[in-house]
Formats: sequence, C-alpha cells, structure tokens
Amino acid sequence: MSITRRDFMRDAVAAATAAAVGVPLTSAEQALAKEAESGWRWDKGVCRFCGVGCGIQIATKEGRIVATKGDPDAPVNRGLNCVKGYFNGRIMYGEDRLTEPLMRMKDGRFDKKADFVPVSWDRAFDEMERQAKKVLDEKGPTGLAIMGSGQYTVPEGYAAVKLMKAGFRSNTIDPNARHCMASAVVGFMQVFGIDEPAGNYDDIEEADTFVLWGANMAECHPILWSRIANRRISSDAADVKIVNITTFTNMSSDLADLELVIKPSADLAIQNYIAREIIARDAVDKEFVESHCVFATGPYDIGYGMRADSSFAYDAEKDIQAKELEVKLDRFEAAGQRREPGEVVKQTNRGSAGKHWTISFEDFKKAVEPYTLEFVTELAKGDPEETVESFREKLEALADFYINRDRNLVSFWTMGFNQHQRGSWVNEQAYMNHLLVGKQARPGNGAFSLTGQPSACGTAREVGTFGHRLPSDMVVANPAHRAKSEKIWKLPSKAINPKPGSHINKIMRDLEDGTVKFAWVQVNNPFQATANANHWITAAREMDNFIVCSDVYPSVSAKVADLILPAAMIFEKWGLYGNAERRTQAWREQVPPPGDARSDVWQMLEFAKRFTIDEVWGEQKVPGLKAEGYEDGKLPDIRQAAREMGYKPDSTLYEVLFANDANRKVKWPDPVAKDHENHTAALLGDGWFPEKALFDEYTQFGRGHGHDLADFDVYYRDDVRGLRWPVVDGKETQWRFNAKYDPYVKAPDFEFYGKALKALPQGDLDKVTNPEKSGLAGKAKIFFRPYAAPVEQPDENFDLWLSTGRVLEHWHTGTMTRRVPQLHRAVPTAQAFVHPDDAAARNLKRNDVVWLESRRGKIKAVLETHGRNRMVRGMVFVPFFDEGVFVNKLTLDATCPLSKETDFKKCAVKVYKA
Amino acid sequence: MSTYTGRREFLKRMAQGAGVATTGGLLWSFLLGQQRHARANMLRPPGALNEPDFAATCIKCGQCVQACPYGTLSLSPSGAEVPIGTPSFSPRDVPCYMCVDIPCMQACPTGALEHDLERIEDARMGVATIDHESCLSWQGLRCEICYRECPVRNDAITVENRPRRTSGHALFVPVVHASHCTGCGICEYVCPTEVAAIHVLPPELVQGKIGDHYLLSNDAEVDADGGPSASPAGDHDAVPGLEYLNEGER
Repeated sequence: MSITRRDFMRDAVAAATAAAVGVPLTSAEQALAKEAESGWRWDKGVCRFCGVGCGIQIATKEGRIVATKGDPDAPVNRGLNCVKGYFNGRIMYGEDRLTEPLMRMKDGRFDKKADFVPVSWDRAFDEMERQAKKVLDEKGPTGLAIMGSGQYTVPEGYAAVKLMKAGFRSNTIDPNARHCMASAVVGFMQVFGIDEPAGNYDDIEEADTFVLWGANMAECHPILWSRIANRRISSDAADVKIVNITTFTNMSSDLADLELVIKPSADLAIQNYIAREIIARDAVDKEFVESHCVFATGPYDIGYGMRADSSFAYDAEKDIQAKELEVKLDRFEAAGQRREPGEVVKQTNRGSAGKHWTISFEDFKKAVEPYTLEFVTELAKGDPEETVESFREKLEALADFYINRDRNLVSFWTMGFNQHQRGSWVNEQAYMNHLLVGKQARPGNGAFSLTGQPSACGTAREVGTFGHRLPSDMVVANPAHRAKSEKIWKLPSKAINPKPGSHINKIMRDLEDGTVKFAWVQVNNPFQATANANHWITAAREMDNFIVCSDVYPSVSAKVADLILPAAMIFEKWGLYGNAERRTQAWREQVPPPGDARSDVWQMLEFAKRFTIDEVWGEQKVPGLKAEGYEDGKLPDIRQAAREMGYKPDSTLYEVLFANDANRKVKWPDPVAKDHENHTAALLGDGWFPEKALFDEYTQFGRGHGHDLADFDVYYRDDVRGLRWPVVDGKETQWRFNAKYDPYVKAPDFEFYGKALKALPQGDLDKVTNPEKSGLAGKAKIFFRPYAAPVEQPDENFDLWLSTGRVLEHWHTGTMTRRVPQLHRAVPTAQAFVHPDDAAARNLKRNDVVWLESRRGKIKAVLETHGRNRMVRGMVFVPFFDEGVFVNKLTLDATCPLSKETDFKKCAVKVYKA
Repeated sequence: MSTYTGRREFLKRMAQGAGVATTGGLLWSFLLGQQRHARANMLRPPGALNEPDFAATCIKCGQCVQACPYGTLSLSPSGAEVPIGTPSFSPRDVPCYMCVDIPCMQACPTGALEHDLERIEDARMGVATIDHESCLSWQGLRCEICYRECPVRNDAITVENRPRRTSGHALFVPVVHASHCTGCGICEYVCPTEVAAIHVLPPELVQGKIGDHYLLSNDAEVDADGGPSASPAGDHDAVPGLEYLNEGER
C-alpha cells in the first residue's frame, strides 16, 4: 500500500513534523502544521539563567517541553533571549541527567570510600537521618549545614531557612549568592538600612550616561545590554555615553565611548578621585545632601577574610595568609590612610569590620584630599601601553559625567565590585558619588547593583538564606527580629539561635577543620565554585563527614558527595524567582521530573518528617554562642514551651513547620494550576499546596515593612509579567525612596527609610569620639573608604594577575549549559586569555596547552591571545564554567571582611608550557 | 553514514600509508579521469592553488592530512563533490583552527599548497555567508557566537548595532567581511542553530564583483594610472556608430 504525500500531509502532526525538519510545505500544509502546534500547551515562565530575569513562554506536549520563546509581553526582554535563554527548553534533557538516588555503598552499608550505587529514596533518607542525628548529638545543631543558592525558588529558599533556623536551630545555612552579591547587600544595608536597589531597569531608557564598574554586561547581562545599546544608538537626545571601567578590554568596551583599563582594586581610588572633584568643583548637591544624607566612615585595619592561623595552609600559602594579621602599607595605601609608607599595621578590627560612625563633611573632605588626579592616575592606570596623559584625560572625563548636572547617570556593577577584598567599601563608594551629586533614587539616576543569579535577590536576599539573616532583611543577632520570626513561625521563645552561622566559605573551612560534619548542597555546585578548591575537595573526601548533594547532573559537588539526590529542574516544579530590579515572577510545573528525580521542596519536607521536636528542641550546644538572655554556648530546652503551645513531643518538624494547620488550609488541587500538575503535592499526598502555602506564609514577613509582595495567585495571572516590590494596594514600585513613586515615603521628596544601622556614634576619620548614638531616620550615609591594596599581588615567582568570570555561552559552573551540545560545541573549554606579549615572553603561542600555577594549585588550559577578552600585559583571565579547567583550584579565598564575599578577581599566577 | 565513514576511513588510511604516498599518484590519476570536472563545494587547505591548478598539482599523497593536528582535513572519497583523493574539509564537522605554523601547508611536497603563505590570517580557504533569516542575532537574540569565536574577529566578522524600536532592544548583527575572512569555518562549526545559519563556501560561489568602471565613493583612493582610458581606441575606419549615422534618411 502506498501513501501519497497528500495523504500523509493530511495528518497535522506529520505536517508539523515535516515543518520542523525543513520539508517544504504548501500553505495548506502549513495551516495543518499550525493546527498541530496549537495542540501544544503554552504557559509563561522565567529564564533559568542570570539575574536579568527574562520572561519566556513554554510549550509542552505529552510531558515534554517542545518549544520555548521569548515572552513578547515581558517588559524585561520583550520577546527576546540570549543564546542561553534560547536553550531553556533543552537544559533538562542532557544524557547524564540524574534520575535516582546514589550513595557510596559497600556490602549494603554506607561507606565513604566506596563507589556510588543506586538506592531507594527511603534508603537515602534513612542514611541522612542516621548521619544527621549522629552529628546533632556530637556537634550540636551548627554541625549541620546547608549550602544553598541564589537559584533556589522562593518556596525552596524559604523551606530551607525554616527547616534550618526554626527546625534544627542551626544558622549554618548560606548560599552561593554569598560569592555573588554579599558585598552589594552590605552596601545597601550600610548606606540605606534596607536591601536592594532604589531604581530598576526602566532607568536605562531614562539615563544618558552609563558607567560600568567591573561589569561585563555585554556577555553577562546580554539582554539588558541590548537595551542599553538601543538607548545608545537610537536616542534622539543623541548624546548617550557609555563608560567601561575594567581591568582588561572586554566585549562591553566595544560599545563604550570611554574605556578605563585600571589596576585591580584601583576602583577604590577612582571613586575617591570623583568625590574629590565633586567637592573641588563645588558640585555637591547641597540641598539633597543636607536634607537626606550624613557622612560616615569605619576602621581600615580589617584583614582580608582569611583564616587567622596557618594550621590548614599549604606551605606556599603561608606568606599571604600571614597578612591577615598584619600588613605593611604601600605608599598608595599609606597616603589614603594618613600613615607612613612601609608602616606595619596590625589588623585589629578583623572581627568588627562593619562598625562605623558619623563624621563631619570637613573630615570627609580631608579624607578624599589625597586622591588627586596625579595620584590616582599613577595608582590606577592599568595598561602599561597607555600614556599617563591619556589616562588622566579619561579620569577627568569620567568625573565630568558625574558632575554635569544635565546628565542622568546610572552606575552598573556586578562582580568586579562585589568580588573584591574591599567589595562592601566600593559598593558604598558608588552611592557616595551618586548621593553627593543627588543622582540617586530618581528616574535615570542611580547606582544600580546588577545580580548574577535568577533569584539572588528574590530568594537568597529577600528570603534570607544566609547564616546571619532571617526573612525581609531581619537578622538572627537582633532579639526583636528573632521574636518576630518566632511569632510568625509559631515557635517557642528562644527557638532561634542568636549566633550568626558560617558564611559559605567558612562552611568549607568548617568541613576542613571538622566543625561541620553534615552538609547538604542544594541547587548549586560549591565544590567547583568556591575559591581555593583543593582544600575543600580534600575535606569532603578525606574528613569524617557526610555530604549530601541534591543535583540534576553529575557535578563536581555530586562527585565529592557521599549521597546524591536527583532533583527536579526549574520547569519540573512550581516556583517563583525575583530578579535584580525587585521583580517577582512565577511559573507552574510544566512537565514531570524524569525517573525518580524530585523537587528540593519535597526532599526537605520528607527529611523534616524524620525529626520530632522532642529530638531537636531540647537543650543544644552551640560552640561560641554568647548572647544576652542565653547561657554561653547553649540553646535552651524549649520542649515544655512547645507543649504549652499545643505541640506534641512526637510532632515532626514536617507537621510543626510545614504541614501545620494554617498551611493545610491551602489546598491542592487549586484552580490556579489550570491543568498543571504538582508532583511535590502529589507525592506528599496530604492535600495541601506546599509552594503556595510557603509563599503566602513568607509574605507575612515583609508586608507593611517596605518588602510587600502580592498574593501567590496574583503572580500567576495571565496579565501579570512579574511585579516589582513593594507591591502596595496591588501597585508595584518603580523607584524607591522617591515620594513620587514609593508609597512608603512620607517626606515631600526623598526618604531613605530603611531602618537598619541607623543609630550611630560620632567620630573623626580614625576613631569614635562620642560614643553616644544618635538616630539618622530617613537618611542615607555617604561613606569615606580609603584605597586598600590587594593582599596577594604578582611577584617574581607568580608574576601575573589572574581574574576569573563568565562567558556569554555558559552559565556558572556549566552543569546545565555544558549539557546543551550546541553551547558545548561553541565554547567547549575555558581558555586562558593572555596578552600576546606575555605569551611571546614565555615562548608560548595561541592554542598552546599551558600550566597555570598559583600558591594553591595548578591546572592546564589552552592559551588564547586573540580572544574576545583583550588582556593587558600582566593579566590573565580564565572563565570558571569548565570543571576540566578548574580555575578555582588557583584562586585565593580572601574575602571582603564585611560581606565575606570572595575576591575571585585577584590572585597571582605563573604561566608556562605544559 | 557508516558506509560513508568506513570508506572514508579506508581511503584515508590508504592515503596515509607510506607506500601509497609514493606510488599513489598513479592510482589517483587513473581514478581522477571521470572526476576532474566535479564542482568543489568543499574547502581546500590553506594556501591551496586555484582549483584547476590545485587539481593538477596535488598528488593526493595525504601528507597534509597527516600533518593536521585537529583531524580537520580528509581525502575525498570516490563520488564526493571534489576530485577523489584530494584534501578538503567540511567545517561543520571539523573547522580549520588556523595553526600559526600552518603544518598542512608545510607538509605539501608539490606546492599544491603554496608555501609562500606567511600568515595563516592571509589564507583564503572560503568565505562565510550568513542566512539572515535563521541567524538568531539577526532575529534580535543575543547570540553572536560566530563573532566571538572568529579568530580574526573585528576584521572578518564585525557586529553592528541596529535599533529595534519594537522592543527597545538593539540588534547585534554579525556581518562578514570577505576581505579578511580566511574561510576557516569556525563560525559555521559553532553556530548554535539546528542547521548552521552561517556557511563557509569557496569564494567563487559567494563573491560577486562590482564593475571595474565604477568605484564606490567610500573606497579609498583611485589609482591614477589604472583607470579606463579616456577615449575609445581604434582607427577612424571603425568609428562606432558611424555606419549607422551615415546610412539612408539623410
């Protein structure tokens, strides 16, 4: 029997298939193909990758994603995506997707030295329970850790925080977002007393001057960059300018009108130069500053966030590690700190780096005085081939942009600022200059911190999945914040541990020294992404500990774990993300997870079933705990108080924290689902809708406090493409602190109403002179911060700077994008970008395989002298996505002492032929 | 597929064998009979002579294939679009990675690959051409992988920004400049679309030519001696149009 083309094409599915493979179709056949496509179920979603937060539309059919497209109604991206976003529909379908729990087993028992074998979920949870209870008994609650993520959905992050902080009474939970924007957070909290930007992406269409400080937006925020590009080339105002301040020429330089190639850490000095110019040219917006700002500073001798002792350092590391305790000032540092060059300064404020006090404007003026054009040119010029005159002219032009009253100026930054040994300082300095000239919290004017991860803002920060935080900007160290959280969470008083938990770098150090013995990795790959990785890999594999890794593909973190739990990916679960402009966006579960993979929410809730409050709410030891109302080193027994609240001793953490009476009223199924499934609710099987219940519970924290979110269902409405908080009376907020736009502002024009850190003593540039604290309600702080030299710099042995970062094609550690064959094919490996002269001086040429070696390790990479990043002499760049070119084996785990965010941009290496 | 691969492997191994390298010319000359005029869509190694000269000069010894460190080159099997036994590459499979020392060319014993190519950037193996309708960047997405991976980026491929009023997002469109394109094919290799939106083809299949009589006004300086002569040459007996003007109707 023969089938004609006509017969065959009558089948709409066949027509669609033919269309998909490129068989030419008649118009009638095209109509049939379209009919088949209409059988697809379309629904809105959010891109899985960066913090830009592009909206997408997802088509599914028979449990598979068949297509995606940029959402034309999404205000962020208007129907476009970058090439990573183009592959959203493919990231779940890599061949090595993890679909069943795997545990290191020998003879039917867990064995840390054995190979992985498949186990059941029950067997996996049995072992987790056994190991966690053993550690609780031996170490107390802080021996348990979660390494979380800025890629958590809001409900996931909330479940994790609640499980740890309310359930286990451990604050040892910290996200990879610590590596990404902790310095930005400190900047916001110190300057404004409330986290997250005043402005939003609409600033792009309102501004005429864009200054990029350590942000390669062309590659790392591609869709925002195309908005800036559009503004640059099509503005009728015509005079739109872009400035790129960077340590080497990157792809953002291609569109820049002014490029400043600077030395690492010289941004600190350049900011002070701009401030000095603003004052010298009498350009301070006096009315704005007097009404809305105060001046402040803090200690300079704050260390570099390294360990204080060398007991775990390799021999080669000890010289740098010793600088944690005392530093010999170079002449540039000395000038800014009003000391003598060569003076050795003990780092006495290592433990109190964040303290600060108000100073007078006269003191501020005196502090920036040394940062003259000549001084800063000498300090900052990064390209040895550039002339002094040329660089000096550029600095002046940069200051002109800030000072020119007719210019609307937005500063953007990401990791160049945040991953910085003085990251919090340089963030504060960004606001310093915007506040001095009154270019803040106005449309088209503002300092805007971009984020790297899709929900670094929405989850890690707003939900508070950090060691020191609670939801909505609250902190565990504050008794009132603990009391409020205990009330919302229906916990006995003193349930929450007042001692801030370890930051993520410290969790790694805790694994190395045995302080933490149970760690659960969720939605990230910290063993590849943490600096100085050789230490932590050894700690994971050689120390007596138990590491659980929930993951979707076999990552480095999965490889060094003891138990691997297969996780559901973004479109296989319900979720919400919050992007860098405070926009909360939601999606439904589109397709079921493969095999036995399950959502992180389900994993945490199932684990919570394994613990009764009787087991975890007794007296607990917490080494180092010192807080008012608490016995040293101990959390009190709260079991009796729990009983009085109506909890039974054998109530599980699942029943108390999650499936409690209030949450069970949020029923599954729910009309908001339309015809979408929820595998988490189905597997729990007790009739509630965990993601919605958790989200709505979480919104109680922020409402009325400037963090207002809408109800869960609002974000799922067909006509909503995310809303920027605070959402008050159903209306989103574009510019915070500005009376025209922000319902929280009670003053006639501006009010920096954040409440944190708003009572300060007074002092001069070196110390507190009047310890009595006075209130600064409604004001922002203009900080003076001096230049500080990087703790490790090139020397005769390790003679080149190493910086790390991203490429457009890959996301983070490449666990998803490297599974997309087309992206892998485009950029299969991380190259070492080197200046051609540096290569020639070492007898190296393009495409040679070379060794890169630091004090901490060595790796091989292919040399690139003519790549997209055009290096200056003396500087090497290696992207971090590639586990085969494991650059974090080289990087230094020094951090900003305030934010504890690692500086991935500055360490010293040598390069030689492999 | 497997048959093709098998045969190609077989021929390649034959060609790469030392014995064949010295006596193979006879065999290939024989086989070449019917194939001589096949159209070449495949790309030749760097430094290759123009196609007729190359076909005549290449002795199909396979030494360039052996010298290539990336496995880019292969000897064409019987029935392919290029003369059997001659080296070529298909960039969507393996592009030319533009070795600085051009080992394939250095290995050529006959000069079919001209040894006077000093810089690999001066090689002209082909020219890239973009299908705007399937190119993600031309459609407004932020891809530009071809541009970023181009070894002579900013010369052979540039990115032009164009406003896109419908969304307020500028286009970043890659544009090929044949005068600098080596034809290495890395762009075609890395293009992420299902079928590559950028293809490298032999220059003669892609490039047009503006008439010599007209110079684009933005094209540098005009060669004072090289322009067309001021008036048509020739004796008066053959003045064009004269016959027409002088006949009848006077």
